[in-house]
Amino acid sequence: MKEIEVALIGNPNVGKSLIFNNLTGGRAHVGNWPGKTVEKKEGRCIHKGVTMRIIDLPGVYSLTAASIDELIARNYIVEERPDVVVDIVDASNLERNLYLTLQLLELEANLVIALNKSDIAEGLGYEIDVKGLSELLGVPVVPTIATVKVGMEELKDAIVEASKRGVKARVRYREDIEELIERIGNILKRDENLTKKYPARWLAIKIIEGDKEVMRLIEERGLMGELREVIG
Amino acid sequence: MERRLSELNPGESGIISRIEGRGEERRKLLDMGLVRGTRITVVRRAPLGDPIELLVKGYNLSLRLDEAEGVYVKPV
Repeated sequence: MKEIEVALIGNPNVGKSLIFNNLTGGRAHVGNWPGKTVEKKEGRCIHKGVTMRIIDLPGVYSLTAASIDELIARNYIVEERPDVVVDIVDASNLERNLYLTLQLLELEANLVIALNKSDIAEGLGYEIDVKGLSELLGVPVVPTIATVKVGMEELKDAIVEASKRGVKARVRYREDIEELIERIGNILKRDENLTKKYPARWLAIKIIEGDKEVMRLIEERGLMGELREVIG
Repeated sequence: MERRLSELNPGESGIISRIEGRGEERRKLLDMGLVRGTRITVVRRAPLGDPIELLVKGYNLSLRLDEAEGVYVKPV
């Protein structure tokens, strides 16, 4: 039987654990991330002949690598390349939550969005154009209410679908930034071992941001000299 | 007229015009949604004036006064 790896991610308090429990039936293997005192939960879900290994990533607002939780989540997605990443978004606080979504798109993760707390959003009078959101982001969006298990079958369907399709969406920036991304990317691509492990485009974006972890990596690979000519 | 976010009274709002500082602290503020053009409201202050509670992008954020000092706002 086919087995796929599915990572769950989202801001704190979006109902991620509840969705994890709904998907896995509450049976989880609990451990720690290697060398860290952060809990790692793993479970299984079988849907339409596909076994999903579900990994619960720490709740984070961002993937800047500023905290250990963020670093764990980011490294997992970059290095393990799960088949599908489910981004659980709080529908009652979209603007705040979509920042993480953007960072996941930058990471070229194979995203499925669970628009959770749809009932609360509705109660607040929000009308979310689910189809429009999905088209805008280029990824499937599934409304869910984890507390009463609404949308779980649809979410599983979307995960299986996405695993067959692979990554489609990406974020495009202003022309001058895109040019810079390309120039940096071309330098990075000379180091095949590096770009085999990390998406060149993502590295380029992080270099422009001055991300500390990525800068350290670039330094280690001895690419700093060439990069200086481009980024000054 | 530009003011520091730390000088706003509870109930007052402003539009973020710039964020001073650099490195990780600034990055964290940007991460939390404090970006140029964002409307921000001071909800209340702790009894001794520090920290302050803010409403930004539909959620409540608590900042230390020294963190709020580097954030400049213009009147709405």
